[in-house]
Amino acid sequence: MGYVFDLRGVLSGQYLDWFVIGVATTLALTCVAWCLAMAMGIILTLIRMIPLPPLGWFVALYVEYHRNVPLLVQILIWYFGVPSLLPRPARQWINAHHGEFLLAAIALGLASAAYIAEDIRSGIRSIPKAQYEAARSIGFGYLGAMGYVVLPQAMRIAIPPLINQTLLLFKNTSLAMAIGVGELTYRTREVESYTFKTFEAFAVATVIYLLISFGIMALGSYSDRRLKLETR
Amino acid sequence: MLEILENNWLLFLVGQYPHGPIGGLTMTLFMAATALALCFPFAIALALARLSPYRWLRLPATAIVHTVRGLPLIMFIFWTYFVSPLVIGRAIGGVETLIIALVVYEAAYLSEIIRAGIEGLPAGQVEAAKSLGLRYWPTTFKVVLPQALHNMLPSMVSQFVSTIKETSLGYVISAHEVTFAASQVNNVLLTQPFEVYGILALTYFVLCFALTSLARFIERRTSSGRGGAPGVIVAA
Amino acid sequence: MIRFENVDKWFGPMQALTGVSGEVGRGEVKVLVGPSGSGKSTLIRTVTRLETIQGGRVLVDGTDIASRGVDINRLRQRVGFVFQAYNLFPHLSAIGNITLGLTKLRGMGKAEARERGLAELARVGLAEKADEMPGRLSGGQRQRVAIARSLAMDPQVMLFDEPTSALDPEMVGEVLAAMKQLAASGMTMICVTHEMGFAREVADEIWFMERGAVLERGKPAELTSTSAHSRLQAFLASTRHGGSAA
Repeated sequence: MGYVFDLRGVLSGQYLDWFVIGVATTLALTCVAWCLAMAMGIILTLIRMIPLPPLGWFVALYVEYHRNVPLLVQILIWYFGVPSLLPRPARQWINAHHGEFLLAAIALGLASAAYIAEDIRSGIRSIPKAQYEAARSIGFGYLGAMGYVVLPQAMRIAIPPLINQTLLLFKNTSLAMAIGVGELTYRTREVESYTFKTFEAFAVATVIYLLISFGIMALGSYSDRRLKLETR
Repeated sequence: MLEILENNWLLFLVGQYPHGPIGGLTMTLFMAATALALCFPFAIALALARLSPYRWLRLPATAIVHTVRGLPLIMFIFWTYFVSPLVIGRAIGGVETLIIALVVYEAAYLSEIIRAGIEGLPAGQVEAAKSLGLRYWPTTFKVVLPQALHNMLPSMVSQFVSTIKETSLGYVISAHEVTFAASQVNNVLLTQPFEVYGILALTYFVLCFALTSLARFIERRTSSGRGGAPGVIVAA
Repeated sequence: MIRFENVDKWFGPMQALTGVSGEVGRGEVKVLVGPSGSGKSTLIRTVTRLETIQGGRVLVDGTDIASRGVDINRLRQRVGFVFQAYNLFPHLSAIGNITLGLTKLRGMGKAEARERGLAELARVGLAEKADEMPGRLSGGQRQRVAIARSLAMDPQVMLFDEPTSALDPEMVGEVLAAMKQLAASGMTMICVTHEMGFAREVADEIWFMERGAVLERGKPAELTSTSAHSRLQAFLASTRHGGSAA
């Protein structure tokens, strides 16, 4: 067909720079959203431990909303919807300071937090009650039994799923292109539309995504093997 | 909010039909159902290949699954969009693009569910079938898969929910589904984005939450015979 | 040392203990026998408030354990409990299981706690397994680590809840030996067990329980030889553990 696959066109000069900026933005977005997700996930877990029904309902509603509404729609609400509710000066500040990055990070982080809270909860639930009883029998109080016996075991169980959440979060940052965040997918399309080197541009992006994903997956299976405890 | 809904509910439901292509929620459901149905044979093949004793079957299947898990869906959408003209000789529309990309993407994830379902069966089932003299295919299709698929029903419903949510990416490539419809409404109204996307979110929520609850209900019914969950720790 | 006064315990509509009374003196070994579901385990679990009771009182050293002033966590340090399923903490090594309470509750230094832990492990014959993870130990070894874990807290009483029931037959002996040694050292013990040989040899008194009540109590020789009670005789005939263990 006369099409010559040639990476030089997209991996030089300003196009190379665009890719580098794209990867950096993707990683930055992943990191910011991850920190927010972890913090919020732990807060949700703690709230759920308080034996007060309305708090439990709140967490349940939070989790169900974020799991049953498409992430892209959540991003659109944060980008188009939320600023329209804010006073004008706040909106201007957002527009002047690359608000799309911040709003995308909030949307991604809050959504991921719902899954993280569920992972931590099922980690805690999978520890048999007898472990808690044994700790209490030695003389530990509620906090001591949770802190020294239940949570260390629960975290071992929860870490592999949490790493999997990190992988999903990393992949989901690509959705931020829909609101103009200059991450890897967005930059790839830019390179493509400037160079018309469609396959080269997307091949580069695909390889970058795969390399980072495989790194996270390797970490996941390493932790899975490393943290597994022999029981029984 | 009610006024927006009153003026645009038809657009949310079926898109511009009958004056244009079918879209809206109808198209969302159609795409999700079609993609899941089409990917099913591929998913079973991938799962069986990954469990195969032959390396030449196992390795490529494993590579495919890991590659798909490592890439964002949007990458598959773009690849489909660019590659299919080369394959079939003409450009394809947003709906077709999205369905093809979803088939590839979901096949990998569904195959993992099927594999887990097969691995979760007691080894005695295969041994019993073998000792009756059944060969591989009858063992797989008459003994293993029917049980595995039955146990997987809740996961399949969850996978349908995931697929529904993923069709929202039609927005990016202008496939006429419900998120795209909402963005059209928003472009006309301009001043009420929170309300418009709020209606959209609520629509998805009602649909997906109903299906998620159904999945949980099925799960409780199928697992009730298998003994209770481990004790839950409560504050003392 | 321990007194049960008319203890009543309900699980929902089902009564698990009905007016159980009895006393365990310092240095005494009481063995609780009876069919499963007769309330033996429930009774010893009330001593450390693993089960709350609805009627009567449980006293340890003269103090009602349900009274307001009692620091239950303090009390539990003084009353060791050994579970049927060992309940070792799988994320900690054998020695780590023992030192956890010493360092976090007693405020002992790491080196001192380790020394103490090793001494306890040596007592149950497992000093060389100190740094093994529980998953790599046999059932009998795990149960002996669990005993050492309780002993490290310097308990005044040890409660055993069917400590050999989950074990393969060839491992029962090593655990019973550790328990006999403990009894010989003068420890106050309440043991729920089906090991009648152990009961005959070590018990000061056997309590026979059925349907949440102590039907009969007496010295091992009296209870097992003379036909004291038809229910007990039927029970003894049905357990074939009589001669096991060295």
